[in-house]
Amino acid sequence: MERRAYFIAGDLLANLSTGAVAGAASALLVGPGWPMWLAMPAGMLLGMLLASVLGVAVFFRYFGAMEVMLPTALTGMLAGMLAAMWATMAPLGLAPAALLGVLCGYAALGLVYALDWHLKRSAPEQGT
Amino acid sequence: MSDIATRRKWDRAARSFDLMTGIGPDKRWEPAKRALFGRMGQGEILFLAIGTGLDIPFFPPGRRILGIDISPKMIAAAAPRVAAYRGELRAQVMDVHDLDLPDRSIDQVFTSCTFCSVPRPVEGLRQLYRVLKPGGELHMFEHTGSRLFPFGLMLHAMTPISRRVGPDMNRVTTANVVRAGFQLDRVQPVFLDVVKTISAHRPQD
Ligand SMILES: C[S@@+](CC[C@H](N)C(=O)[O-])C[C@H]1O[C@@H](n2cnc3c(N)ncnc32)[C@H](O)[C@@H]1O
Repeated sequence: MERRAYFIAGDLLANLSTGAVAGAASALLVGPGWPMWLAMPAGMLLGMLLASVLGVAVFFRYFGAMEVMLPTALTGMLAGMLAAMWATMAPLGLAPAALLGVLCGYAALGLVYALDWHLKRSAPEQGT
Repeated sequence: MSDIATRRKWDRAARSFDLMTGIGPDKRWEPAKRALFGRMGQGEILFLAIGTGLDIPFFPPGRRILGIDISPKMIAAAAPRVAAYRGELRAQVMDVHDLDLPDRSIDQVFTSCTFCSVPRPVEGLRQLYRVLKPGGELHMFEHTGSRLFPFGLMLHAMTPISRRVGPDMNRVTTANVVRAGFQLDRVQPVFLDVVKTISAHRPQD
């Protein structure tokens, strides 16, 4: 698990801002008239796309490749999907959508850190 | 993809390679790479895919190393780092599928983010096997696909795009090493089951 302050701060910055952007963009795209079956994948795709764009443009070069790409893709996917689902049911403003995205960023990063820690502890020898 | 196409792709990538990987990925992976390259011994060493030479500062001094890469532009960009190495380091354009080296002439092979990029990985690994002496070591720092959900799926989905400008994201490099005839010694995770070091050797006859 990463212990260097620079990279932990970078991971937080990348995931929280990706989440905020993905959540807000998804809320902008999707409105109360959308069917859930369409809103969910549309939000996920938009979130992942935005995560890749932000990663290539800003975050990968400063904070790492896979270590940034995978959690931010997960963050974007989650934030986009949840904001889109919410927006189909009730109007969702940009600020609450961004906040939802920030929470997704925390959750996704926490999950990845925990998984990484667990894998190194329990299965130091890997497959593929 | 033909090898000319591979060379062109990496020649193009050479322009922005240090900008994209010289700070974040390079520093992030530095401890794991230093530990791996710290295994360089006193014999003949082949370093596959020297790139722009970002790995060279992590090499222990005083070794005898031939660094190769398919891309002349990468090799040209690596020149200052090659010159700064305190030891014997030569850099040469060479394709791993067609190694211009005698059989059983190398003691150790090192690679770094290479087999995500080599078009025919098992064939490339068989060439490494050929040039290694029996008992010779292969040490790799690589990123691969993942068995974890949803990361494995994501890496598969990204590969058709990433391979146009750079590496594949979904390689099964550990399995490829075994397929090429090597005996696996150790696979150590660096990040999830995606970034890892792989150590193997060519069995004695
Ligand atoms: C992702 S870069 C890694 C460069 C360097 N090892 C590093 O980590 O900074 C992949 C490298 O593999 C080289 N490469 C791709 N196919 C190759 C082949 N068939 N033979 C030799 N080198 C190859 C590319 O030119 C490129 O420099």
